[in-house]
Amino acid sequence: MEYDYLKQKRILLVDDEGQLRELVTSILTQEGYAQVRTAGTVADALAQAETWKPELAILDVMLPDGDGFDLFSKLRGKEDIPVLFLTARGEEEDKFRGFGLGADDYVVKPFLPRELLFRIAAVLRRSYKEECPRVKLAACEIDFERAEVLRGQERLPLTAKEFELLGALYRNAGRIVTIDGLCEAVWGDNPYGYENSLMAHIRRIREKIEENPSKPVSLLTVKGLGYKLVLAGK
Amino acid sequence: MKGTIRLIRRFLLLVVCVVPVLFFLNLGLFVAYTWRERSDNGGWQAAIKVGEELSPGSDGQYHLSAAGQQELADYDAWAILVEDGTGDVVWHSEGLPEEIPLHYSAAEISWYTRGYIADYPTTVGARGDDLVIMGHPKTAYWKLLWNTFDYGMIAGLPRMLLSFLLLNGALAFLIYMILGTGILRSVKPVVQGMEALPEEDVHVREKGFLSEVAGAVNRVNEKLRAQERALRKRENARAGWISGVSHDIRTPLTMVLGYAAKLEEDVSLPEEVRSKARVIRLQSVKMKNLVGNLNLASKLEYQMQPVRMEELNLTAVLRQAAADFANEDLEGRYPIDFRCQEGLGACRMRGDRELLQRAVYNVLSNSRQHNPEGCSLFMELAAEAGKEGKAEKTAEAGKARIRLSDDGVGVSEEQLETLRSTPHYMMDSGTGVQLRHGLGLLIVRQIVTAHGGQVRLDHGPAGGFLVEIFLDVLLPNQSTTDLPS
Repeated sequence: MEYDYLKQKRILLVDDEGQLRELVTSILTQEGYAQVRTAGTVADALAQAETWKPELAILDVMLPDGDGFDLFSKLRGKEDIPVLFLTARGEEEDKFRGFGLGADDYVVKPFLPRELLFRIAAVLRRSYKEECPRVKLAACEIDFERAEVLRGQERLPLTAKEFELLGALYRNAGRIVTIDGLCEAVWGDNPYGYENSLMAHIRRIREKIEENPSKPVSLLTVKGLGYKLVLAGK
Repeated sequence: MKGTIRLIRRFLLLVVCVVPVLFFLNLGLFVAYTWRERSDNGGWQAAIKVGEELSPGSDGQYHLSAAGQQELADYDAWAILVEDGTGDVVWHSEGLPEEIPLHYSAAEISWYTRGYIADYPTTVGARGDDLVIMGHPKTAYWKLLWNTFDYGMIAGLPRMLLSFLLLNGALAFLIYMILGTGILRSVKPVVQGMEALPEEDVHVREKGFLSEVAGAVNRVNEKLRAQERALRKRENARAGWISGVSHDIRTPLTMVLGYAAKLEEDVSLPEEVRSKARVIRLQSVKMKNLVGNLNLASKLEYQMQPVRMEELNLTAVLRQAAADFANEDLEGRYPIDFRCQEGLGACRMRGDRELLQRAVYNVLSNSRQHNPEGCSLFMELAAEAGKEGKAEKTAEAGKARIRLSDDGVGVSEEQLETLRSTPHYMMDSGTGVQLRHGLGLLIVRQIVTAHGGQVRLDHGPAGGFLVEIFLDVLLPNQSTTDLPS
């Protein structure tokens, strides 16, 4: 498993609904997350945060002794841990959009387990990218720490742009990242007319990571929309 | 306030028109009246005629002919003949009043002929070298004793008339202004109040001659505001209720959806159970979408959804919506074919990224919902520069056309007509159940309308359903599109 190290992260789930805690916990443990704890109240959550030092917090907005936003501020006040909100979509959604609360992501209830898992994985990958792992693909491994592609005994260095492109694709592994999203990741804002350039970079990446660059299996094109990175065993 | 200015202008115009009309009307009346009197000549012709009708008889006495007698009778006048040189009256008509002198000096003649003899207005004629004086009844004429006009005055008559006209006009204007401003001062607050009635809370001071009207305006205002409050309250209650219900549904639905998905993926379960779990999962997803749509539609309908306008690239929005949709399509049953017009750069516009994405996503998921067996989706973006809208240095205004179609089951002509013409039940409480159609398309319309665009529904070119969205965009000028290094 490529992100085993992420599965070892301590995850604190805070929700007042006992059955929902049970459901999310079972989704997480089934996926392989080894350290999941839950809390039903703000007080409980703060106490656990103090002693257990979670590395990701999943917070419900509505809690019996306060709201998730307050809890968020308190948690962030101590340590800069990634936070993912679970919301029943109402006015709180506007808070995320409007005020840029600083939360890493939010998931609207009801959600599919797959959706939640993807978001958690993406947040973890983004937040702990300095603990750069080796990512296994069909034909190679990517060493993000050293910005290299490992193929057997061969080590192929990645250019800065290739590294950034692969990083953006890896954080959204298994999902389509749009052309615009990739251009923005590499060239920043206003990516006018960079599409041809992007195609050239993708071609060069494929030469490094694919067994057969003209028949890619790891870095797939979704015509007209963007690209998708498929991890080994997925 | 514009209305008041128009009012003043109209009245001024009226004044400017009325003054000359009045002036010339009076002048005309005066001329017509005096024209009627013109035949009379003030008795002067009669005196001349009497002079002509006098003739010396054989006895040395003067005689007046019958015609002359008749003339005198007609005027109810008397006449005398004053002899040249002596100043003696050598003849007089019958019925000469006693007070009339029978001898005249030259000075007296000059005076009497110009004016009156013993208050009888006189006119004069001639009989040879002698003077005929005709005396009219005292109330017959009013004589001008100094019947001379300054030549300059007659010469300046047109100018005088003009100045009369102007003075009259100025006076009328002055009077109007004094009266008008007084009236305006009373009318203005009432008019302003009425103008502001539809938008804001109004209170007009109930003073002056329009106090009753002002009072009525105030009462209307109170009624309007009360109705507004009631309507707002009802809308808020409705949207709040929908939001509350959808909130309450979400948590239990999370559990249904979550466990259904888990059961479906559980390989230890028999295939039959897993396929049933799949049905539960799919239906739960439908409910999830419905709940989300219901909430958003009601918020958009009652303007409770904040629309956050930002500079965005429409192409990116479309791609993201399509990618979100494709990411959910794990089985690959709904392939999307996205095409941009050849050479089309970024389509910039001001809009709410999430809402626009949502609109496009809704159209795509509408196709998915109506084609459970799968179908191909086609997404096309084209744009052309138009004349409308504001252009910028590096970009010009244009219109973008987004064509979203599928090759699925499509709709019948009647269904299409219904979709086009009937409002959604949420917007029209008076209609029956049969008019209901998906909230998805309603939201598309709401979002596009909020961005000043249009939505068109039709049959798709590949036989399915077609939704066309038109939006105003800014297109880059060809010369300014720079390519990356």
